[in-house]
Amino acid sequence: MPIDEQERLAALARYAILDTTAEEAFDELVQLASTICAAPIALISLVDDSRQWFKARVGLDTPQTPRQISFCTHAIRQRELFVVHDAMADPLFADNPLVTDDPKIRFYAGAPLITPDGFNLGTICVIDREPRVLGSAQRHALTALARQVVVQLELRRQIAEKAIAEERLARVVEGSNDGFWDWNLVTGNMQLSERAMSMLGYAAGELEPHAEAWQRLIHAEDRAAMMHVLNEHLAGRREQYESEHRRRSKAGEWVWILERGKVVARDRDGRPTRMAGTHSDISKRKRAERELDRFFDVSLDLLCIAGMDGRFRRLNPAFQDVLGYTVDELCSVPFLDLVHPDDRASTSAEMMKLREGETTRYFENRYLRKDGATRWIAWTASPATDEGLIYAAGRDVTRAKFAEHELRRSEARTRSIIDNAPGGLITTDARGLIESVNPAAERMFGYSAQEMAGGRLDVLLDTTLDLQAALDRVTELPVRRRSGESFTCELSLFEFYAADDQRHFAANLIDVSERHVVERMKRDFISTVSHELRTPLTSIRGSLGLLASGVMGALPEEVTRVISVAERNSVRLISLINDILDFERLDSGKMTMQLRPTPLLRVLERSVESIAAVAQQDGVHIELHCNGASVLGDEERLMQVTVNLLSNAVKYSSRGDVVTVSASLEGESVEVRIADHGRGIPADQQKKLFRRFERADSSDARTKPGTGLGLAICKAIVEQHGGAIGVASREGMGSTFWFRVPAAGTPA
Amino acid sequence: MKVLVIDDEEDVRYVARLSLGRVGGMTVVEATNGNEGIARARDEHPDFILLDMMMPGMDGAATFRALRADDATAHIPVVFLTAKAMAPEVQRLKELGARGVILKPFDPMTLADEIRAILGG
Repeated sequence: MPIDEQERLAALARYAILDTTAEEAFDELVQLASTICAAPIALISLVDDSRQWFKARVGLDTPQTPRQISFCTHAIRQRELFVVHDAMADPLFADNPLVTDDPKIRFYAGAPLITPDGFNLGTICVIDREPRVLGSAQRHALTALARQVVVQLELRRQIAEKAIAEERLARVVEGSNDGFWDWNLVTGNMQLSERAMSMLGYAAGELEPHAEAWQRLIHAEDRAAMMHVLNEHLAGRREQYESEHRRRSKAGEWVWILERGKVVARDRDGRPTRMAGTHSDISKRKRAERELDRFFDVSLDLLCIAGMDGRFRRLNPAFQDVLGYTVDELCSVPFLDLVHPDDRASTSAEMMKLREGETTRYFENRYLRKDGATRWIAWTASPATDEGLIYAAGRDVTRAKFAEHELRRSEARTRSIIDNAPGGLITTDARGLIESVNPAAERMFGYSAQEMAGGRLDVLLDTTLDLQAALDRVTELPVRRRSGESFTCELSLFEFYAADDQRHFAANLIDVSERHVVERMKRDFISTVSHELRTPLTSIRGSLGLLASGVMGALPEEVTRVISVAERNSVRLISLINDILDFERLDSGKMTMQLRPTPLLRVLERSVESIAAVAQQDGVHIELHCNGASVLGDEERLMQVTVNLLSNAVKYSSRGDVVTVSASLEGESVEVRIADHGRGIPADQQKKLFRRFERADSSDARTKPGTGLGLAICKAIVEQHGGAIGVASREGMGSTFWFRVPAAGTPA
Repeated sequence: MKVLVIDDEEDVRYVARLSLGRVGGMTVVEATNGNEGIARARDEHPDFILLDMMMPGMDGAATFRALRADDATAHIPVVFLTAKAMAPEVQRLKELGARGVILKPFDPMTLADEIRAILGG
């Protein structure tokens, strides 16, 4: 079969005509052919690969015959009318069964059915059982009828194709969920599909089929924009009409509609007469957009869309807050202009990557605020290279940056303090396992920090340490170096809670062995010097005393006076040495108190007695009021305190004054008060009195002898009794010194 | 009343001699060290001995033990004279058997009375 025969068969198939039922149009055409040609048989014969099939026939019962024997097979090879005047006389057909047997064909004339694209599908033919000829008019008529058959075939095919297209369209419409409209611009009539109606909650027929009724449903705010676009399209300035607007539903709600359409017909003057288009419900999309817009607006973070050209396209209000510029100002300049000069290069590099389609996962740069301040912004960005846009989100991390910086600085400072601290600092966890060790501790113990980490703090000690008991106090401990050498450490232990919320201990260790040596040397020195001074002073004081007393014989008055000055000052020197020794002993803890129940009256009486001579000499009277309470104390030391306070009172009294000594039970303590009527002590100097080498008025040193240690010694003694000492005084009104020591029991 | 003053410091012995003798009316004999003191104690039979604590060679404590060890002197009351005014020191001397302790420097006018008070008490 030739290739063009295959194409011919394909063309035939396109008409979908074979084996269809009879159709009036074709039947009438064969009837007409039979009549015009006065032939008993007329056929519309279509030739497929194996047969000729008759779409319409007159005078023949059989619907088809095999192709090999058909006359039409020959006819379709022609472009013109094919005529066999006498088949019996034609060698091509004489043996043909259709000639030799029924229907005994002698005459055949077939006009080819040539499609517009040039294929010969078959013939319309007339057949007679007698040999004959066709007149010219008949030949023309048969040829014309052939053309009419093709027209009918064509028509039939187009109708069928249209039906398929319509069905397909119907399915699309059904599936698209869009509504359709068809608007007659002349009458205003508007046809709406069911879906177009239901989109707004209307049933078919519920809405007047008129454009006006339809347009009334548009939201007032959206109408102008919609009309503008529509008029643009109607005027031919816009290819397509497209509008997003709200329409009121039957229930009164606003539905977002995307309306699209096009003019489909125009009058002779080109004026549009008909428009058709679709409706889509875009409420969901609009809601999603609105939601996104709201997030965009409320975001604390900076959200923006920028062009690849380096300019902002859209910014959220956060930009205004962070950078101080209005959105318009920000959009009017390349954003690189707003970036800190030092960060422009890195920002440009990052932009380059974005242009190449790379996503920015984290990028920091500094922006300059309108007021000149610097803001650190951390960015993430994603490029949309097709659209030429960058979608970016930024966060103002200035505060975090600053905090981070501060934290680092503070960390470095703390680290530096710890590393440079002369004392050893060791931290442990709650169990006492070493966590960190500073360089001073490394040097102190001879182990590296790594060697000590994880070990027990106790290992460094020559003793077991109860962390809890040692907390918040200063303890001296024997410790051991790596070399085995033992030394004394002063340990102050405190607890802290780290960022992990866990309890930790920090031990501050100071090697005090050297300090101990120095202190011991100092004490020994003071002690030795003091003792060595006593021996010569014994001779001096003794000699002067003997001279001054006159037992060595009478001396001239002036000599006696000079000797007295020398004697008085030697006594003063002795008391100074005594005070220094006392103080050294109190300081070093060597002065032990023998606390026992002691009758206070005896202490006070003995004290008054010992000062009586001096008082009498100065013309000061001492009064004693005591009810016989007992105190828990060291009699000699309490006497020392009382005598000291009494001698001060006498010293600062004027001739004829009275010094009062009284005692009373105050709760569980006994308070002793020594009151004078001297010149008093200014309030600002009262506290200083009890400090070593302090005197109320330094000018006193010349007029009133004293070491300045007396009250400090008194304070130390009283405190070793578990008591307290103080003064109440007003300038010019005298002073009352008091001390309190624990009572030994109920007053006798 | 006879007193033996044992002290290596001549000046101190002199002041003590004046205080106890001229002021206190006592008979004073002297020794400059422990050994001499022990010998003089045997010879002179003093009523009491004023013994300095710190002396080169045989110190006060050693002298005291020697005096106690000798029947001839064991009964003589001893009052120590010391520059060490610390309470534990005084306590230690008393525990040795000293009758009393006088601290240097003493008041020359009241020394005799103080010692009489110690011996009488």
